Amino acid sequence: MDFYQNRALRAILLAIRIVLGAVFVYGGYVKLQAPWALFGMAIDSYHLVPLRYIEPLARTIPWFEVALGLLLIFGWLLRISATTVSLTLAIFFAAMLHAFLNHQEINCGCFGPGEPISKWTLLRDGSMLAGSLFLTWMALRSPRRMA
Amino acid sequence: MKLYTIALVALLPCLAATPDVDKGKTLGLPTAPIRMEIFGDFTCLHCRLLHEETLPLLMKEFVVTGKLYIIDRAFPLTGPPHQYSREAFGYAVAAARIGKYQEVADALYAHQQTWAQAGNVWDCVTAVLKNPADQKKVKDLSKDPGVLAEIEAEYQEGVQAGVNVTPTMIVTAGGKRYPLPPAPNYELLRSMLNGFLPK
Repeated sequence: MDFYQNRALRAILLAIRIVLGAVFVYGGYVKLQAPWALFGMAIDSYHLVPLRYIEPLARTIPWFEVALGLLLIFGWLLRISATTVSLTLAIFFAAMLHAFLNHQEINCGCFGPGEPISKWTLLRDGSMLAGSLFLTWMALRSPRRMA
Repeated sequence: MKLYTIALVALLPCLAATPDVDKGKTLGLPTAPIRMEIFGDFTCLHCRLLHEETLPLLMKEFVVTGKLYIIDRAFPLTGPPHQYSREAFGYAVAAARIGKYQEVADALYAHQQTWAQAGNVWDCVTAVLKNPADQKKVKDLSKDPGVLAEIEAEYQEGVQAGVNVTPTMIVTAGGKRYPLPPAPNYELLRSMLNGFLPK
């Protein structure tokens, strides 16, 4: 069966793209509304990145998120953007899981300050990662542009 | 603590705290462009580190220079390691009413590990409040309904602001409030605060 002739599947993939894209654009936008150092503190609280890399990361990740989100929403460079989103979410999820398992009482930093890492945030990001991996798999196995 | 004393003496005449603030628990000028509320607990280790390591740096660089106004907010924790927290806040807020908050807060943090386990909070307070008249005032005021209400009101304010861990600093600048992650790196905190100041 050709998945891309299946309208339901196309609709699901479109929904995943739009939802993930909107979440990325929103996450980046929220961070850009606050001083970069605030997001820098959130990154630093994970204790995974040396201090000298915090500023470049805190200044670039929000723009990166907005760009990736727009690529997903508009379906441009879908193989590259979906793969990059999956890798990004995998890194974020691994960092959150590491903090959660080590009982670090820190905020996720996903959508600005004030959101502690919990089973709920892990479930949310895990679901996004699952959706993103599915999208990536479908994008990579298709010779054509999806949805 | 000499730095605190100098700063307090220099800034005391200017202290005209806003109505929602217990001016005895503030540092700096209320007209400063940046305001920082610290929701902390005297039994919390990270609060002690903030008080003893980060606060002196903030004092020197931002408070004394009139850029930052700091307000201590009570956020008493509950549960086994924190059972004397409310009592400690009672004495600290009572001490604020007679202008001795910083001394009492310094002592409570300095001897945190002793009284938080043994429960001899009052001994810690009397070690710094030498004057018997001050001791009596603080002892009496610590049971005052107004003092207890202030502690509860600040705790509820913290809950409403989404405080879920201590210490939580909430910075207000340019009309926006920014809750900071607990125990932020000072270099990052400095970058953020400097970013709020006019170039």
